[in-house]
Amino acid sequence: MTAVALPGVGALVDRVRDAAARRAALRVVGQGTWFDAGRPVLAQETISTRDLAGIIEYVPGDLTLTARAGTTLAEIVEATAAHGQWLALDPHGGDAGTLGATIATASSGPLATGFGTPRDLVLGLELVTGAGIVARGGGRVVKNVAGFDIARLLTGSWGSLGVITEVSVRLHARPAVDESIIVPLPAKSGAVERVRTLLRRIPFTPLACEVVNAALARALGAGAAPAAIVRLGGNREAVAAQRAAFDELGSVREIDVSVWQRLRTIESRDAIVFRLSALPARIESVWTSAAALEGEGALIHAAPARGIVRCVLRRSDGTTAAAASVLSSTSCSRIGERLPSELWAILPRPGADALSRRVKHAFDPAGVLNPGVIGELE
Amino acid sequence: MSATALPSTSNPPGIIDQALADRLAGIVGAKRVLYRPSELLTYTSDGLPSYHKQPGLAVFPGTRDEVVAVVRVLAERHVPFVPRGAGTGLSGGALADGLVLIGLNRLTRILSIDAENCRAVVEPGVVNVALSRAVAQYGLHYAPDPSSQAACTIGGNVAENAGGPHCLKYGVTTNHVVAITAVLPSGEIVELGDTEGEHEGYDLVGAFVGSEGCFGIALQVTVRLSRNAEAVRTLLADFMSLDSAARAVSGVVATGIVPAALEMIDQATIRAVESSIYAAGYPTDASAALLIELDGAAAGLEHDVATVESICKSSGARTVRIARDEAERARLWQGRKKAFGAMGRVSSHLVVQDAVVPRTRLPEVLERIHEIGERHRVRVCNVFHAGDGNLHPNIAYSAADADETARVHLAMREIMRACVDVGGTITGEHGVGLDKLEYMALIFSPDSLATMCALREVFDPERRANPGKVVPMHACREWTAAPAARVTSRGRA
Repeated sequence: MTAVALPGVGALVDRVRDAAARRAALRVVGQGTWFDAGRPVLAQETISTRDLAGIIEYVPGDLTLTARAGTTLAEIVEATAAHGQWLALDPHGGDAGTLGATIATASSGPLATGFGTPRDLVLGLELVTGAGIVARGGGRVVKNVAGFDIARLLTGSWGSLGVITEVSVRLHARPAVDESIIVPLPAKSGAVERVRTLLRRIPFTPLACEVVNAALARALGAGAAPAAIVRLGGNREAVAAQRAAFDELGSVREIDVSVWQRLRTIESRDAIVFRLSALPARIESVWTSAAALEGEGALIHAAPARGIVRCVLRRSDGTTAAAASVLSSTSCSRIGERLPSELWAILPRPGADALSRRVKHAFDPAGVLNPGVIGELE
Repeated sequence: MSATALPSTSNPPGIIDQALADRLAGIVGAKRVLYRPSELLTYTSDGLPSYHKQPGLAVFPGTRDEVVAVVRVLAERHVPFVPRGAGTGLSGGALADGLVLIGLNRLTRILSIDAENCRAVVEPGVVNVALSRAVAQYGLHYAPDPSSQAACTIGGNVAENAGGPHCLKYGVTTNHVVAITAVLPSGEIVELGDTEGEHEGYDLVGAFVGSEGCFGIALQVTVRLSRNAEAVRTLLADFMSLDSAARAVSGVVATGIVPAALEMIDQATIRAVESSIYAAGYPTDASAALLIELDGAAAGLEHDVATVESICKSSGARTVRIARDEAERARLWQGRKKAFGAMGRVSSHLVVQDAVVPRTRLPEVLERIHEIGERHRVRVCNVFHAGDGNLHPNIAYSAADADETARVHLAMREIMRACVDVGGTITGEHGVGLDKLEYMALIFSPDSLATMCALREVFDPERRANPGKVVPMHACREWTAAPAARVTSRGRA
């Protein structure tokens, strides 16, 4: 347990209370990497958790870590790697972002196939509510059902319920062997579905498995054909058997593990990025919807086990119009990451239901935290 | 039936009277509304026999529509209620002291199984193991496996965010629930989460799971199913000291091998089990035994088994026994899963505690628990999920002996404090219910508790669903008064 108040948290409390009293909306950010993504936040003032940085507690034997929200993922990678461990979260955008923002935005990356999303890794957190109250949910131990689950509620709330100031997460030991392979796939329909059915059938879940389209394979320097890129983990014998399981897809070759880092940082900050998703068995049809953008040079990748397809487009009038056509015509789940405002306008607003509005009001009665990011614009 | 005055709430209290019983009987049938004390006897306790609270009335709807209709009648009359699954809970959470108890154990339909997508949609009264049995033909199972899985319901599991031995590798209930259709105490029906694609917006499923019946009643739960492991290996390692067993736990975890389960059983428990009908062949002279299960793909599993075996031996294991077949494996597990039942032979009453400590602090906490037991002259047995530091110290005693009972309670309180002192928590899987209310203030500040109350009021503004549970109201600073308060939450959470 922390014993002393961080001066930084006190200052944050003052700032939030002051804003609440004036009903002045605050844009809450970590490093600010996501809030230049066009999300409709209606705020003039910004508060950042960047200075609330540093690992508070890390006992490798417990496989848990507690850090202030402004700690970057890179710092956590470095501290945990020294003990053969990792925080199995690799959100797109790289490791420059903060832990707080990663949890607040529930951002994940390819490792979600093997380890789940932030909601599966967060153990507890501290927040400053919109009323300027410092509260905690969860704890620092790996299993905890004491009290209502404030920590999960805040995960993915985009800073609209509270400013996350500290987070405790579950770590994993790095596998003895961490190997990545690439299997070129035929450029015809059914390829993604074949990968999905294979994943459903084999007796293990890889750490990551992404299908990339030809344009993305080229951008990654991984050939010129669509491909499955798979990250395998375990002991030597297990990984050898896992690798053999992918033989039926095509010719398997090893690829340097750095491919994942390239995939995470492939898009520029002004790209158009969104995800489409459905039940895994519908992956092929979701992929087909996205593939309509290939003519626009879209970089497309899918996590077949999770039913998710992600599209990256260079921003232009043409690509915006093409993306608009895809986003307005598919019936699957559509989630924006980086979009121009006209595309945000097409997407359903998350958290517009009555219950979510009541949650927002309970945590942020003055409506000052990131207004507009979740829920209806008032 | 005489009218029963209900505890005061901020709203006009509802009255349980004949008129209410008649209204409810009109929905579910007269046979499904119980109010005579003799009929209510079964419902005065849950899995924790130290509490007895008689409901004012118990009602047992048989369909989703009946649940909704019952809840709406109660809403109309502002009557507080307590949802109940199978009543196997271990925190007194399903006790309805003079209130309406809504039994959901008749809603037992598995509504759909989607093997390809590893999903099932179930009603709240589906028994945990029944779901795993129903999906076994597809090579799937439902991963959370509380020891009561033969009786407990998915609805109850959702309410408690239940765990079980295998959650070390596979996660607890909240990691396996995708979406919930719930009826709020107001009678409003809400859809939480997304049954198909990714969900965006507040994680209301995450908030609902583990809300201990205070947020409403789950009518329909969409769960994730897990593939059965291709191979399973179960090991039993016995140690001549608790400390060396605890060191083996840390050693295994550090390798990166995540066992499906990693359970510790101390000598007192071993002896109780071995002298019962659940005898599993545990060595009775050992100070502790570890039951370790490894599962997954067959390829490479033997290598992991060998690694774990050698870690146990180098940590001081006397013998490491590997189950040769499914029958032996089942027998090893039976001793663990029925350990609490076996305690029944020792004394008439049993109090089971549930706390979590950082794994690395296990040796010192076990030492401290031993010392506390000695000092209060009570016999503490430990059988628990060592892999995630989830302790279940339990004490067998006779409730007829007032002095012993008092000592048991003192010892338990000290044990909880000892767990909190090393950075642990007061419950890992049993929930707060009634039993842990007094400990909530040990780990949460008044502001944190007030924030939880505020969340509860989003779902249940009248605080009618399972009132008086989870958050101790006296410790909870009023939400409205809070903005003017100082930041005082440090040191406590």
